[in-house]
Amino acid sequence: MVAKYVMLADTTRCINCKACEVACRAEWDTPLGYSRDWVKEVEYVNAKGLPEVQLFPGRCQHCDDPPCVEVCPSGASWKREDGIVLVDHAICSGCELCVPACPYEARWLNPVTNTISKCTFCQPRIDKGLQPACVDTCVGRALIFGDANDPNSEVSQLLKAKEWQKLVTDEVNIGPNHYYYTAGKAIPDTVMPKLNERHLSGKLMENIVNPLGTLGIGGMMAVFLGAGIKKLIDRRQDVSNKEGSHEQH
Amino acid sequence: MQESNQSGKASRRAFLKSMMGTAVVSTAALSLDAQARIHAPHELETLKDYEEHWGFCDMCYWRCGLKVRSRDGKAFKIDGNPEHPLNRGVVCGKGNSGIQVAFAPNRLKQPMERTGARGDNKWRPMPWDEALDKVAHELNKVKEKYGPQALVMIGHGTWEKPYHRLAHAFGTPNTTSPVFGLCCGPRGVSNTLIAGKNLTGNETIDLENCKYFLMMGRNITESLHNGETLGWIDGVANGAKVTYVDPRYTITASKADEWLSIRPLTDHAFLLALIHVVIKGGLYDKQFVAEYVTGLDELTAKVEKYTPEWQEEITTVPAETVRRIALEMAQKAPAVFVYSPRRLTRTSNDLGTGMSISILNSLFGVWDRKGGIFTPQTIKVPEIDLPEFPHAHVSREEGHGDFDFAHNPFAVDVEGKIQRADGAGVPGRWPLANPQYGLTNEMWKAMAEQDPYPLKALLTAGGNGFTNSTDYDTVRKALLNMDFYVAADVSPNEMNSYADIILPEASYLERYDDLQIGGAREGFIALREPAMQPLHDTKGSWDICKALSQRLGLEAYFPHDSVADMLDDRLKKAGYSLAELKEKGIIKKPADDAINFPREMGGKSVFPTPSGKIELIPSQLQALGMEDAIEWAEQPRPKDGEFHFTFGRVGFHTHARTQDNIWLNYFMPENLLWIHPDAAAKLGISDGETVEVKDPKGRGGKIAAKVTPRIRPDTVFTVHGFGHWDTRMTTAVGKGLSDSLLGSDNREKHIGSISMGMNMVTVTKV
Repeated sequence: MVAKYVMLADTTRCINCKACEVACRAEWDTPLGYSRDWVKEVEYVNAKGLPEVQLFPGRCQHCDDPPCVEVCPSGASWKREDGIVLVDHAICSGCELCVPACPYEARWLNPVTNTISKCTFCQPRIDKGLQPACVDTCVGRALIFGDANDPNSEVSQLLKAKEWQKLVTDEVNIGPNHYYYTAGKAIPDTVMPKLNERHLSGKLMENIVNPLGTLGIGGMMAVFLGAGIKKLIDRRQDVSNKEGSHEQH
Repeated sequence: MQESNQSGKASRRAFLKSMMGTAVVSTAALSLDAQARIHAPHELETLKDYEEHWGFCDMCYWRCGLKVRSRDGKAFKIDGNPEHPLNRGVVCGKGNSGIQVAFAPNRLKQPMERTGARGDNKWRPMPWDEALDKVAHELNKVKEKYGPQALVMIGHGTWEKPYHRLAHAFGTPNTTSPVFGLCCGPRGVSNTLIAGKNLTGNETIDLENCKYFLMMGRNITESLHNGETLGWIDGVANGAKVTYVDPRYTITASKADEWLSIRPLTDHAFLLALIHVVIKGGLYDKQFVAEYVTGLDELTAKVEKYTPEWQEEITTVPAETVRRIALEMAQKAPAVFVYSPRRLTRTSNDLGTGMSISILNSLFGVWDRKGGIFTPQTIKVPEIDLPEFPHAHVSREEGHGDFDFAHNPFAVDVEGKIQRADGAGVPGRWPLANPQYGLTNEMWKAMAEQDPYPLKALLTAGGNGFTNSTDYDTVRKALLNMDFYVAADVSPNEMNSYADIILPEASYLERYDDLQIGGAREGFIALREPAMQPLHDTKGSWDICKALSQRLGLEAYFPHDSVADMLDDRLKKAGYSLAELKEKGIIKKPADDAINFPREMGGKSVFPTPSGKIELIPSQLQALGMEDAIEWAEQPRPKDGEFHFTFGRVGFHTHARTQDNIWLNYFMPENLLWIHPDAAAKLGISDGETVEVKDPKGRGGKIAAKVTPRIRPDTVFTVHGFGHWDTRMTTAVGKGLSDSLLGSDNREKHIGSISMGMNMVTVTKV
């Protein structure tokens, strides 16, 4: 029986101490300004007029139907049998088509390696039988990781014992494998996945150009050329956007 | 490489597979190459090798057990030691960021001498020998001119012990640690007076089994200590009810069943009314009180007037709520706990607040019961053999957590000894203050005013007087008064920029330190060993103090060649060895219910007070004529247009020490001023706008506003530790506003500890 890895986040036990984020940074030497995982803090006023705070630790959701894999022109983005979505850095061209494809904003271009970085569920650690770094360090023991196909695993027991939710909407439902327990509270919209408008060109890649890739190396060349041109256009746009706005941070 | 695909849609690679072998596509080699490439097995990242070293954390004062991973001789990742009872293997964001303490580019890297004015940051690098010679020479000069008591030593954290020892050997009683006078002092004193146990430092609370937490501003999820926080979260998950009392809605409030947004400074009134209801309603543990408690009748008379209705106008908590909480707690007792704030230095009568908390816990009979307060298991590890200290009037003993009140009959009169300059433990001055930890706030004052006698040399080990107190002027004047100031530290800060000589310390990842000896349910001894060689020309504090002792003729106080030798010596005295400690980084004595919870097991509780019982009206307080401390003392209130000024913590910063840490600064580069939407609307302030905050003295500055319903309308709040101005702190400098400019510099009237919560401020839109 092949494993199916899932991450559970009990938001009632999360305290936004950022241990998961720093542990991940140290473990994978993430460049400052980027992070493979995060904790979102949502403040609102409830029906009784009282303040409330909810905390959502998050990372790549290792979806069953990952658009990042679909859109990748080089085959660098792939999904392992156990459900973990990975990036093969040897063949990742850093074209960034997968970045807007992800509705969870889990992917980014690493300026040091020029390839795409994201959470891997700490694949090198779990392959050694260790827990992911974020889970290992979590102060509130809010993060629980394991094999949902093993009926005796802690995650299987917990999935049965409590009401878990996933970050899915009518618009975005791609089978995430990251579960959240909120003790019955609704998950605020701000935490929910959004379709990224810039993903349209990625869609083109996914549905037209990638199949062309099968027509041989010419198609391949076209793919990379297309991706390169697209990237150039995006960059120019980014630069002109930045120059146009004088935001004071 | 076949992948599951639940959508039923052919995946790209499945599509490619279907194309394979069809005659439609030209089977040119090139095309096959392309296919082959797509089907090549993917390269998987593998975990590189590393070695592990034991440690305990230095990012805050809880001191979690660590396993530090190093690769190529460099520490790169800090994990928790799963065997360590203070954190059970978890490490917070601060602890994880310890790596950046060691690797910070702006660390103090070699000994330096000041070449410009104090605070100007003009330095000349110098060799260690020259620096140590100079320090010894200058200290001896001050000793000759003014006597050894003219030396003040201020330390903080795990660095301080050898410096305390050196200063005591030198002959001064004036060693102090901010932990008492600026933070936890009133709690320790309150619990010691009433129960003979201080319950401070690594608190011994049976969190997992507690069924009701009344949190008096104890923001346990943000002013966080891993083991304590995890235990509390477990307790809440196990069904404990939480009532959170704080003017601010914190993350802890978000985990609570109920939030009481009490008026600042009035916790004491609320607690007195609770005591009133508990006694009047007969809601206390009658059996426990009959057997173990004195002073109930006297206390009953005292709290007669403190009704729930009386407190309602003061605290704004409805009288009915007080009655309900008393009843709810009584129903769950003894598995209940009234949780003191960690830092109890807020009002003019913190002793009253602390005693009320201790009284309530005692009335509910929580001592030595499951879900209440347990008695720790301890391992006795003798100190090394040392000569007598000439004048230090209490020599510090280790092994009792942060506080050792074992030798603290209040106000010891010591014949022929030099009295402490800060008056801590001195009859007629601040007899309740602990003479080992001293009153750092009063010590700064004594240095600034050169009273009661000249104080001319200063030795600091870590710490930052400018940001941990609330009177810059006093601290600056004190520093400028010094003939000689030597600072030992790992990182630059405002205080050590005033030093004449800076001695750069190795970080806690690069050195051995003395043993960590602690008591939780399990007793333990833990090890800190270097995870890598020092990155710079730095030394550990023991090595620095040993080198100084040799130059000062005090080598008898540092007899070992190395810290490791000293550890081995201590461990062998206790029947262990360093080699044994290196196996797991910790040696433990197992938990034992008969010791931890004697009253659950048919045993007896022990309360080391003069009467051997819980003293609701403490005899030691009566002897000092201070039993009025239990009475409510009026606290200031804001006039129209003023606000209570409050400050507190976030989970990823420690005090004012971590704002320059690049990994932690990332989460919060600067602090904001929390203000309620109603108050903000009145002042025309919207979220994110810059405002000016001023205290009555006209101190303060500019800060961005966070308009939020998470604070009372008559109160503003900001996170502590920002507003650094030392240009060597390249990441933190000039960011945010320092609460040290806005907190009050009053005194707790019985103990002499600082009261920082009594200032009112005005807020104006810039």
